[in-house]
Amino acid sequence: MNKNDQKMLRPRKSVSYAKWGYIFILPFFLVYIVFTLTPQFLTIYNSFFENYRSGLKQIGPNFVGLDNYKALFTADPSGTVRILKYAANTLILWIAGAIPQFVIAMLLAIFFTSYRLNIKGQGFFKTVIYMPNLIMAAAFSMLFYTLFSRVGPIQGLLESWGVIDQSFDFFSVRITVRGMIALMNFLMWFGNTTIVLMAGIMGIDQAMFESATIDGANSVQVFFRVTLPLLMPIFVYCLITAMIGGIQMFDVPQVLTNGKGVPNEYTRTLVMYLNNYLTTKNYGMGGAISVILFIITGILGGFVYKMLSAQYKDPERQHRQRKGNVI
Amino acid sequence: MKKVFAILLAALMIIGLAGCSVPSKETTAVPKAEQGKVFNIYAWNEEFKGFFEKYYKVPEGVTVNWIINPSDNGVYQQKLDEALLNQASKPADEKIDMFLAEADYIGKYVDSEYTMDITSFGFKNASTMYEYTIKAASDSKGVCKGVSFQCCPAAVIYRKSIAKDVLGTDVPAEVQAKIDSWEKFDAVAAEAKAKGYYMTASFAETFRAFSNNCTSPWVDANGNLQFDPQITAWMDQTEKYIQNGYTLTAGVWDAEKTNEMFKTGKTMCFFGPAWYYNFCMTNAQDPENGCVGDWCLVKGPQAYFWGGTWLLAATGSDNTAMLKDIFETFTVNTDVLNKMVKDDSQYVNNTDVVKAFAEDPNYGNTSILDGQNDIAIFYELAKDIKWENHTNYDQLLNEGLQNKLQEFYNGSVDEETAMLNFYNYIGEVYPEIVIPAN
Repeated sequence: MNKNDQKMLRPRKSVSYAKWGYIFILPFFLVYIVFTLTPQFLTIYNSFFENYRSGLKQIGPNFVGLDNYKALFTADPSGTVRILKYAANTLILWIAGAIPQFVIAMLLAIFFTSYRLNIKGQGFFKTVIYMPNLIMAAAFSMLFYTLFSRVGPIQGLLESWGVIDQSFDFFSVRITVRGMIALMNFLMWFGNTTIVLMAGIMGIDQAMFESATIDGANSVQVFFRVTLPLLMPIFVYCLITAMIGGIQMFDVPQVLTNGKGVPNEYTRTLVMYLNNYLTTKNYGMGGAISVILFIITGILGGFVYKMLSAQYKDPERQHRQRKGNVI
Repeated sequence: MKKVFAILLAALMIIGLAGCSVPSKETTAVPKAEQGKVFNIYAWNEEFKGFFEKYYKVPEGVTVNWIINPSDNGVYQQKLDEALLNQASKPADEKIDMFLAEADYIGKYVDSEYTMDITSFGFKNASTMYEYTIKAASDSKGVCKGVSFQCCPAAVIYRKSIAKDVLGTDVPAEVQAKIDSWEKFDAVAAEAKAKGYYMTASFAETFRAFSNNCTSPWVDANGNLQFDPQITAWMDQTEKYIQNGYTLTAGVWDAEKTNEMFKTGKTMCFFGPAWYYNFCMTNAQDPENGCVGDWCLVKGPQAYFWGGTWLLAATGSDNTAMLKDIFETFTVNTDVLNKMVKDDSQYVNNTDVVKAFAEDPNYGNTSILDGQNDIAIFYELAKDIKWENHTNYDQLLNEGLQNKLQEFYNGSVDEETAMLNFYNYIGEVYPEIVIPAN
């Protein structure tokens, strides 16, 4: 090996392709900083001010420190801290819709991807279950409102069957209104979750399932020992995005109850509460609620992520993965 | 892959830029003309739009642009406020030229710089216009900013067949004698109930009959919320009516209530002004299931007025000639006004026109009533309408009170909780109003 060869073999220090990478991701970060990060900081900033409109006159902005937060967490004369009530409503509504959503979506995803079942007409079923997601939430809520209203067909049908009497009102009972909202959210989103989970399952090597079956695992064992652990990243992703969507739940209950959150505000979500402050362009209170929403989302997101990803972390497998010889 | 990504990003940025550049191009290309080519109207429903399209001939070359937002939950006011606050920075053809306002919040716009003096474009209020409609459209200094195309004395519209069954008579004068006070009205409600009828079809049906007779405004000079005796009287009456089954828990605009106007309906009385016929009583006019001719009008227990639509001139309008023209068409053009009374059963804002109808022995309303001269009754009632005790908060306070109490009436909450929800609601929509501590 002569000197020249040695020179050519030596790695060249100055050429780095990394900068192209940075240039390519730059537009995203610019857009993110301008349209997401800045408003986020402005929201926090605004939450310390009294700033709203009375009629066509502007009040403020006057710096009030933490007064907006204090107002939010002050109990009303009946002893209820209303923002906590709305937060609880939001969570209940989301969980009630999310449990069937994930259970059904998971089952469907497994059925559709099973080489044993080999379901025919998959394209058709996938389209059908995804359909409700294409309808505007507002239109869907209007449909439900019309169906279940005092003069709607469901009331008439159940009355003629003698199940309910004439004085029954679906919109004055907590469980029926909450049930309707949960049902609508479930119907709208289970198709979407099914498709994402299917993609996740199809990303798993079929050989895994086959070898597990050959080793004598039954389908329940295959699901819990093979499918679920390998699907976990996708599952956690689905759950967290669904949760963020759930915390921001607005259109379905707003349209269904015409913004009233009947009965007794038990279906009023945090964003519906926030929305009422828009009437007077109340940036102060609106900002404070948004900050609290942000904190709740952060805490719950972190909690779900920690809980689910920790459970399926197998230190030995990780070790092997790091060394680069997976199975 | 990189290439695809780069192309995608580039495309995205171009789309973004294009999105920004389109409107600015349009706005700079607007030719400066004496009168604008686009006439923008803000409204909360199609009612006036119908009359406008029927009776007003738009000048050649002008496009009328309707921006309609629903009134519920204050959405209309929000959108209108936003547009008015940005009015100055908008190019001429995007400025609001005219907007509609209701009795419940007209003061907010009249008493602001966003509406203009109608005399500035040569419109003079006619002596035939109802005094209260002028007062409502005038600011605290008495400068008038718009006109109303209707006058809204309101009365009781009753089903003749049900009245006959309950009271033994369906003649207006005799019916009126039996319901000319609230005590008598309550007594008749009990009789109607005994025969299987409802007195009214909505818990809020009588609300306006009380609330528009208030002797104090919702909010006093110091910003304190106050309950007028009329409002509490309405609450007491409604609670009793619900308990006794004299009325339904439906809201005034709900289908459950308007379905009661079909032939099969079991409700005797409805409360409303002339606009109520076309706006709320379409079910009664249904060719199959309606009951045209089974209705009559009487003053009822308490004279009142309800609503009204004012046309306000927006500051910055570049179509002042057209504004003047529209105002004239709907207040002094007797041809149009006569047609509006005859064909659309409206009670117009022109005392000469309505007086002629009131005194005309041949005139009778057959589009919904039994040929009774309703204008004669409205004419008497309209003389007493006064414009007082209104605040800019009225719409949402009236709406909020009804919405929250509805939950008490349908049994989902107790009264205390309903009122608490109402106070909390006020805190959200009007932080400046002080809620009495008790």
